[in-house]
Amino acid sequence: MSRLVLLDNEAVRALSSARHPKHRKVISHLQVITTRRKRSRSTTVGVPTSVRVEAGWDRRNQAWALANRLGITDMALDQTVADVAAEIRNGLGTHISVADAHLGAVAQGVDSEVTVITNDPEDITAAAGSARATIVRI
Amino acid sequence: MQRDQKVIAAALDQVTELLSVGEDTATNTSIRFPDNLREATRIAVDVLGLAPTTTALATTALRNTLEAAAAEVALELHYAANPDVRPTLGDLAVAAAEIDGHDLAESAEILHRAAAEIVQTRPDATGDDVLLWAEAQQRAGAA
Repeated sequence: MSRLVLLDNEAVRALSSARHPKHRKVISHLQVITTRRKRSRSTTVGVPTSVRVEAGWDRRNQAWALANRLGITDMALDQTVADVAAEIRNGLGTHISVADAHLGAVAQGVDSEVTVITNDPEDITAAAGSARATIVRI
Repeated sequence: MQRDQKVIAAALDQVTELLSVGEDTATNTSIRFPDNLREATRIAVDVLGLAPTTTALATTALRNTLEAAAAEVALELHYAANPDVRPTLGDLAVAAAEIDGHDLAESAEILHRAAAEIVQTRPDATGDDVLLWAEAQQRAGAA
Protein backbone atom coordinates (compact mmCIF):
# COMPACT_ATOMS: atom_id res chain seq x y z
CA MET A 1 0.00 0.00 0.00
CA SER A 2 1.20 3.52 -0.70
CA ARG A 3 2.22 5.85 2.09
CA LEU A 4 1.92 9.61 2.45
CA VAL A 5 4.39 11.26 4.81
CA LEU A 6 3.32 14.71 6.02
CA LEU A 7 5.54 17.36 7.58
CA ASP A 8 4.34 19.74 10.26
CA ASN A 9 5.64 23.23 10.98
CA GLU A 10 8.55 22.12 13.17
CA ALA A 11 9.63 19.46 10.67
CA VAL A 12 9.69 22.06 7.90
CA ARG A 13 11.67 24.47 10.07
CA ALA A 14 14.10 21.70 10.95
CA LEU A 15 14.55 20.92 7.29
CA SER A 16 15.26 24.54 6.44
CA SER A 17 18.53 24.89 8.34
CA ALA A 18 21.48 22.55 8.79
CA ARG A 19 22.03 24.24 12.16
CA HIS A 20 18.58 23.33 13.46
CA PRO A 21 18.96 20.74 16.26
CA LYS A 22 16.42 18.41 14.60
CA HIS A 23 17.75 18.83 11.05
CA ARG A 24 19.64 15.56 10.89
CA LYS A 25 16.65 13.62 12.19
CA VAL A 26 14.32 15.06 9.55
CA ILE A 27 16.96 14.51 6.87
CA SER A 28 17.15 10.85 7.95
CA HIS A 29 13.45 10.42 7.23
CA LEU A 30 13.68 12.16 3.88
CA GLN A 31 16.69 10.03 2.94
CA VAL A 32 14.72 6.86 3.68
CA ILE A 33 11.80 8.11 1.60
CA THR A 34 14.09 9.06 -1.28
CA THR A 35 15.71 5.61 -1.25
CA ARG A 36 12.27 3.98 -1.23
CA ARG A 37 11.17 6.10 -4.18
CA LYS A 38 14.30 5.10 -6.08
CA ARG A 39 13.25 1.50 -5.45
CA SER A 40 9.79 2.32 -6.80
CA ARG A 41 8.06 1.96 -3.47
CA SER A 42 5.03 4.20 -3.57
CA THR A 43 5.86 6.88 -1.01
CA THR A 44 4.93 10.54 -1.22
CA VAL A 45 6.01 13.43 0.98
CA GLY A 46 3.54 16.25 1.37
CA VAL A 47 3.29 19.58 3.12
CA PRO A 48 -0.07 21.23 3.74
CA THR A 49 0.12 24.69 2.22
CA SER A 50 -0.92 26.35 5.48
CA VAL A 51 1.99 24.60 7.21
CA ARG A 52 4.22 26.08 4.54
CA VAL A 53 2.80 29.54 5.29
CA GLU A 54 3.31 29.08 9.04
CA ALA A 55 6.91 27.95 8.55
CA GLY A 56 7.66 30.71 6.04
CA TRP A 57 8.51 28.34 3.21
CA ASP A 58 8.47 30.50 0.08
CA ARG A 59 9.36 28.28 -2.86
CA ARG A 60 10.68 31.32 -4.77
CA ASN A 61 13.27 31.97 -2.07
CA GLN A 62 16.69 30.37 -2.61
CA ALA A 63 16.98 29.88 1.15
CA TRP A 64 14.50 27.02 0.70
CA ALA A 65 16.44 25.37 -2.13
CA LEU A 66 16.99 22.06 -0.32
CA ALA A 67 13.32 21.67 0.61
CA ASN A 68 12.31 22.63 -2.93
CA ARG A 69 14.56 19.98 -4.45
CA LEU A 70 13.25 17.04 -2.42
CA GLY A 71 10.01 16.50 -4.30
CA ILE A 72 7.75 17.55 -1.43
CA THR A 73 4.21 18.02 -2.74
CA ASP A 74 1.98 20.91 -1.73
CA MET A 75 -1.31 19.70 -0.24
CA ALA A 76 -3.73 22.50 -1.05
CA LEU A 77 -6.40 23.95 1.21
CA ASP A 78 -9.26 23.71 -1.25
CA GLN A 79 -12.95 23.93 -0.39
CA THR A 80 -13.37 20.29 0.64
CA VAL A 81 -10.23 20.20 2.76
CA ALA A 82 -11.06 23.57 4.33
CA ASP A 83 -14.49 22.27 5.38
CA VAL A 84 -12.94 19.23 7.08
CA ALA A 85 -10.23 21.39 8.70
CA ALA A 86 -12.89 23.74 10.05
CA GLU A 87 -14.85 20.77 11.38
CA ILE A 88 -11.72 19.49 13.13
CA ARG A 89 -11.09 22.87 14.73
CA ASN A 90 -14.72 23.28 15.72
CA GLY A 91 -14.61 19.90 17.38
CA LEU A 92 -11.27 20.11 19.13
CA GLY A 93 -11.04 23.79 19.92
CA THR A 94 -9.02 26.72 18.70
CA HIS A 95 -5.86 25.57 20.48
CA ILE A 96 -5.49 23.38 17.37
CA SER A 97 -3.73 25.64 14.89
CA VAL A 98 -5.11 26.21 11.42
CA ALA A 99 -2.04 24.47 10.02
CA ASP A 100 -2.52 21.41 12.23
CA ALA A 101 -6.21 21.26 11.36
CA HIS A 102 -5.30 21.43 7.69
CA LEU A 103 -2.79 18.63 8.20
CA GLY A 104 -5.43 16.55 9.97
CA ALA A 105 -7.89 17.13 7.13
CA VAL A 106 -5.32 16.01 4.56
CA ALA A 107 -4.60 12.88 6.61
CA GLN A 108 -8.30 12.07 6.79
CA GLY A 109 -8.82 12.59 3.07
CA VAL A 110 -6.38 10.10 1.59
CA ASP A 111 -6.66 6.36 0.98
CA SER A 112 -3.00 5.66 1.63
CA GLU A 113 -1.31 4.99 4.94
CA VAL A 114 -0.22 8.22 6.61
CA THR A 115 2.82 9.15 8.66
CA VAL A 116 3.24 12.58 10.22
CA ILE A 117 6.60 13.96 11.28
CA THR A 118 5.87 16.39 14.10
CA ASN A 119 6.95 17.83 17.43
CA ASP A 120 3.35 17.90 18.63
CA PRO A 121 2.08 14.31 18.66
CA GLU A 122 -0.93 15.02 20.87
CA ASP A 123 -2.49 17.71 18.70
CA ILE A 124 -1.65 15.92 15.47
CA THR A 125 -3.09 12.62 16.70
CA ALA A 126 -6.28 14.42 17.67
CA ALA A 127 -6.46 16.33 14.38
CA ALA A 128 -5.84 13.21 12.29
CA GLY A 129 -8.72 11.51 14.09
CA SER A 130 -10.01 8.50 12.19
CA ALA A 131 -6.99 8.49 9.86
CA ARG A 132 -5.00 6.85 12.69
CA ALA A 133 -1.75 8.22 11.35
CA THR A 134 1.64 6.90 12.37
CA ILE A 135 3.20 9.72 14.37
CA VAL A 136 6.94 10.34 14.35
CA ARG A 137 7.98 12.69 17.14
CA ILE A 138 10.98 14.89 16.43
CA MET B 1 30.86 25.78 -3.35
CA GLN B 2 32.93 24.43 -6.21
CA ARG B 3 31.99 25.24 -9.78
CA ASP B 4 30.72 21.71 -10.50
CA GLN B 5 28.45 21.84 -7.50
CA LYS B 6 27.06 25.17 -8.65
CA VAL B 7 26.29 23.69 -12.04
CA ILE B 8 24.61 20.68 -10.42
CA ALA B 9 22.61 22.92 -8.08
CA ALA B 10 21.42 25.06 -10.98
CA ALA B 11 20.41 21.96 -12.95
CA LEU B 12 18.55 20.61 -9.93
CA ASP B 13 16.60 23.84 -9.60
CA GLN B 14 15.72 23.70 -13.29
CA VAL B 15 14.51 20.11 -12.99
CA THR B 16 12.54 20.95 -9.83
CA GLU B 17 10.90 23.94 -11.50
CA LEU B 18 9.99 21.93 -14.60
CA LEU B 19 8.51 19.11 -12.54
CA SER B 20 6.43 21.52 -10.47
CA VAL B 21 4.51 23.10 -13.35
CA GLY B 22 1.42 21.56 -14.92
CA GLU B 23 1.48 19.15 -17.83
CA ASP B 24 -0.94 21.14 -19.96
CA THR B 25 1.27 21.16 -23.01
CA ALA B 26 2.83 18.14 -24.67
CA THR B 27 5.01 17.44 -27.66
CA ASN B 28 5.24 14.31 -29.74
CA THR B 29 8.70 12.90 -29.44
CA SER B 30 10.50 9.95 -30.94
CA ILE B 31 11.94 7.59 -28.37
CA ARG B 32 13.20 4.19 -29.46
CA PHE B 33 11.36 1.78 -27.14
CA PRO B 34 12.51 -1.82 -27.14
CA ASP B 35 9.74 -3.94 -28.71
CA ASN B 36 9.31 -6.13 -25.65
CA LEU B 37 8.89 -3.11 -23.37
CA ARG B 38 6.37 -1.52 -25.71
CA GLU B 39 4.29 -4.71 -25.86
CA ALA B 40 4.47 -5.19 -22.09
CA THR B 41 3.29 -1.60 -21.64
CA ARG B 42 0.38 -2.16 -24.04
CA ILE B 43 -0.75 -5.24 -22.12
CA ALA B 44 -0.32 -3.47 -18.78
CA VAL B 45 -2.63 -0.70 -19.95
CA ASP B 46 -5.15 -2.58 -22.10
CA VAL B 47 -5.56 -5.72 -20.02
CA LEU B 48 -4.27 -5.02 -16.52
CA GLY B 49 -5.53 -1.43 -16.40
CA LEU B 50 -2.42 -0.13 -14.65
CA ALA B 51 -2.86 3.28 -16.27
CA PRO B 52 -5.42 4.92 -18.56
CA THR B 53 -2.96 5.17 -21.46
CA THR B 54 0.56 4.10 -22.35
CA THR B 55 1.52 7.77 -22.32
CA ALA B 56 0.22 8.13 -18.77
CA LEU B 57 2.10 5.04 -17.66
CA ALA B 58 5.34 6.20 -19.26
CA THR B 59 5.14 9.80 -18.04
CA THR B 60 4.26 8.75 -14.47
CA ALA B 61 7.21 6.37 -14.40
CA LEU B 62 9.51 9.03 -15.83
CA ARG B 63 8.31 11.67 -13.37
CA ASN B 64 8.79 9.33 -10.40
CA THR B 65 12.28 8.43 -11.58
CA LEU B 66 13.26 12.06 -12.10
CA GLU B 67 11.87 13.21 -8.75
CA ALA B 68 13.63 10.44 -6.85
CA ALA B 69 16.91 10.96 -8.69
CA ALA B 70 16.78 14.74 -8.19
CA ALA B 71 16.09 14.30 -4.48
CA GLU B 72 19.01 11.89 -4.17
CA VAL B 73 21.37 14.34 -5.89
CA ALA B 74 20.03 17.19 -3.74
CA LEU B 75 20.73 15.24 -0.56
CA GLU B 76 24.24 14.30 -1.70
CA LEU B 77 24.92 17.96 -2.50
CA HIS B 78 23.66 18.89 0.95
CA TYR B 79 25.89 16.28 2.62
CA ALA B 80 28.89 17.52 0.66
CA ALA B 81 28.33 21.02 2.01
CA ASN B 82 27.35 19.81 5.51
CA PRO B 83 29.12 16.52 6.26
CA ASP B 84 27.90 16.47 9.87
CA VAL B 85 24.25 16.07 8.86
CA ARG B 86 24.73 12.87 6.86
CA PRO B 87 22.73 10.19 8.70
CA THR B 88 24.44 6.97 9.72
CA LEU B 89 23.02 3.64 8.54
CA GLY B 90 21.70 3.16 12.05
CA ASP B 91 19.92 6.53 11.89
CA LEU B 92 18.32 5.47 8.61
CA ALA B 93 17.15 2.17 10.06
CA VAL B 94 15.52 4.00 12.97
CA ALA B 95 13.91 6.48 10.57
CA ALA B 96 12.58 3.62 8.40
CA ALA B 97 11.07 1.96 11.46
CA GLU B 98 9.52 5.23 12.62
CA ILE B 99 7.93 5.97 9.26
CA ASP B 100 6.31 2.52 9.20
CA GLY B 101 5.31 2.57 12.86
CA HIS B 102 7.39 -0.58 13.31
CA ASP B 103 7.84 -1.94 16.85
CA LEU B 104 11.63 -1.71 16.47
CA ALA B 105 11.35 2.07 16.26
CA GLU B 106 11.39 1.95 20.05
CA SER B 107 14.61 -0.09 19.99
CA ALA B 108 17.12 2.27 18.43
CA GLU B 109 20.03 0.48 20.10
CA ILE B 110 19.12 -2.82 18.41
CA LEU B 111 18.90 -1.11 15.02
CA HIS B 112 22.21 0.72 15.43
CA ARG B 113 23.85 -2.56 16.43
CA ALA B 114 22.31 -4.34 13.46
CA ALA B 115 23.54 -1.57 11.15
CA ALA B 116 27.07 -1.90 12.50
CA GLU B 117 26.99 -5.65 11.80
CA ILE B 118 25.35 -5.64 8.38
CA VAL B 119 27.54 -2.88 6.95
CA GLN B 120 30.59 -5.12 7.29
CA THR B 121 29.31 -7.43 4.56
CA ARG B 122 26.81 -5.11 2.80
CA PRO B 123 28.33 -1.62 2.63
CA ASP B 124 25.52 -0.51 0.31
CA ALA B 125 22.75 -1.60 2.70
CA THR B 126 19.84 0.76 3.22
CA GLY B 127 17.92 1.59 6.36
CA ASP B 128 15.13 -0.71 5.18
CA ASP B 129 17.64 -3.54 4.69
CA VAL B 130 18.81 -3.13 8.28
CA LEU B 131 15.24 -3.00 9.58
CA LEU B 132 14.33 -6.18 7.72
CA TRP B 133 17.43 -7.96 8.95
CA ALA B 134 16.91 -6.86 12.56
CA GLU B 135 13.28 -8.00 12.40
CA ALA B 136 14.33 -11.39 11.02
CA GLN B 137 16.96 -11.75 13.75
CA GLN B 138 14.39 -10.88 16.38
CA ARG B 139 11.90 -13.45 15.07
CA ALA B 140 14.59 -16.11 14.77
CA GLY B 141 15.59 -15.42 18.36
CA ALA B 142 12.01 -15.70 19.52
CA ALA B 143 11.39 -18.99 17.67
